[in-house]
Amino acid sequence: MANPTPDPGAFLRDMLGQWETMANQVGGQMMKSGEFARAIQGANAATMQAQTATHQIMDRALAAANMPSRSEVEDLSARLRGIEESVVRIEALLMAQAGITKPERPKPSRTRKPPVKG
Amino acid sequence: MTEAAAPDVFDQARALFDRAIQRNFKGLGYFASPAPVLGASPKDLLIQRGTMNLYHYRPMTDDVYRVPLLLVMATTNRGYIFDMVPGQSLVEYLLRAGYDVFMLDWTAPRADEKTLTLADYVTDFLPTAIERVQAETGEQDFSLVGYCFGGVLSLLWAALHPDAPMKNLVCFTTPVDFSQMEMFQSWSDKRFFDVDRLVDTFGNCPADYLYSAFDMLKPGAKIAGNIRLLDNLWNDEFVKSFRMFDRWATDTLPLAGEYFRETTKRLMWDNALHSGTMDVAGRPVDLATITAPFLHVTAEHDHIVPSAASAPLIEMIGSTDKEQVTMKGGHVSLVAGGNAIKRLWPKLIDWLGDRST
Repeated sequence: MANPTPDPGAFLRDMLGQWETMANQVGGQMMKSGEFARAIQGANAATMQAQTATHQIMDRALAAANMPSRSEVEDLSARLRGIEESVVRIEALLMAQAGITKPERPKPSRTRKPPVKG
Repeated sequence: MTEAAAPDVFDQARALFDRAIQRNFKGLGYFASPAPVLGASPKDLLIQRGTMNLYHYRPMTDDVYRVPLLLVMATTNRGYIFDMVPGQSLVEYLLRAGYDVFMLDWTAPRADEKTLTLADYVTDFLPTAIERVQAETGEQDFSLVGYCFGGVLSLLWAALHPDAPMKNLVCFTTPVDFSQMEMFQSWSDKRFFDVDRLVDTFGNCPADYLYSAFDMLKPGAKIAGNIRLLDNLWNDEFVKSFRMFDRWATDTLPLAGEYFRETTKRLMWDNALHSGTMDVAGRPVDLATITAPFLHVTAEHDHIVPSAASAPLIEMIGSTDKEQVTMKGGHVSLVAGGNAIKRLWPKLIDWLGDRST
């Protein structure tokens, strides 16, 4: 049997695999530690604080410019969703009353049996 | 003979040179070409309600199994993991095997959907989808197949409806003992993680936050993956597969704020599902009330839901016809890709076939 052609890159690929395994193990252990959790959640808390401060400043600025805030736009979005759902229901009712139905696709029969196991 | 087949230095150099050239050409093509089209199996959208989508895939056979099958996707990711590209699609595989396939899939919850709770998913979205499947097929019986947290939603619904005509329940890599998800436990450590503040600040839990959490489970994977991509740019199949999975993995969904708050507190902190204290909208959840035939498939190298987190499920289910299978692979390669085509998919249709008539 012929010898497979040795691949000069195989050594580097093997090294990469080993590095990945090691990085996942060492990194994983580090990330499981309480210190890491504390650090990452500290960073998250700082981000949230900045976000809250930005929201407050933007809310004041938008109110001063007589424009709706994000929460007001969200309320409008919720109401719009309610209206959309109502429109869909009304449309379905009107179509049913007018006798308009979508063309039915041919439905398959439902009598299939599993193949006999040999 | 061995001498004749011995590698020639010139041939090796030529092969390396060819690959280097192809890497350059195809590398340019990689950045210039659009991402592959995923999830393109023909289907009809039956319900679209905010974050909830219910699809019906068009049957590929004239005669299907009597019992329809509803796939329930995890709320953190897109359902096209089940329908990547032709030839690598679980949906297509099921359709060709004669199943009538539906999928409950999710889109990013809108800002005004931040108030959705676990109860909305379990007692509204899931039963609404099931009712529509029943109406569409004219069959009361159905099979539920849940992936990861889609499995948790399916379990919660099934436990609350022991008399429902659920013919079969299949879970893929579904956690029940959340105390064993060590990395997630560490990050959601209640001493440092203020879930109330996160939800109150952002409304919905941002997708970036969840993506980072998944990404950090394997800190070396991204760098190694990109180096492997560079090394294999000459290989079209490798590049195609890499792009599919990379696109899916980065396409993480945000989670509805109240739902995230509740799952963090009840499942991650209280481990309520495993300790038997779980309730949904005040109704107690007892997995022992589930008596339908049950299959649970877990992955040997699952870094997201380790075996210790998913293994206790089989004992908690009340069914007499139940089976637990652990297959080679990881959390994603269990359900999609070459590994899944060889292992999970044939097992699934083999198990379901006898139970879907």
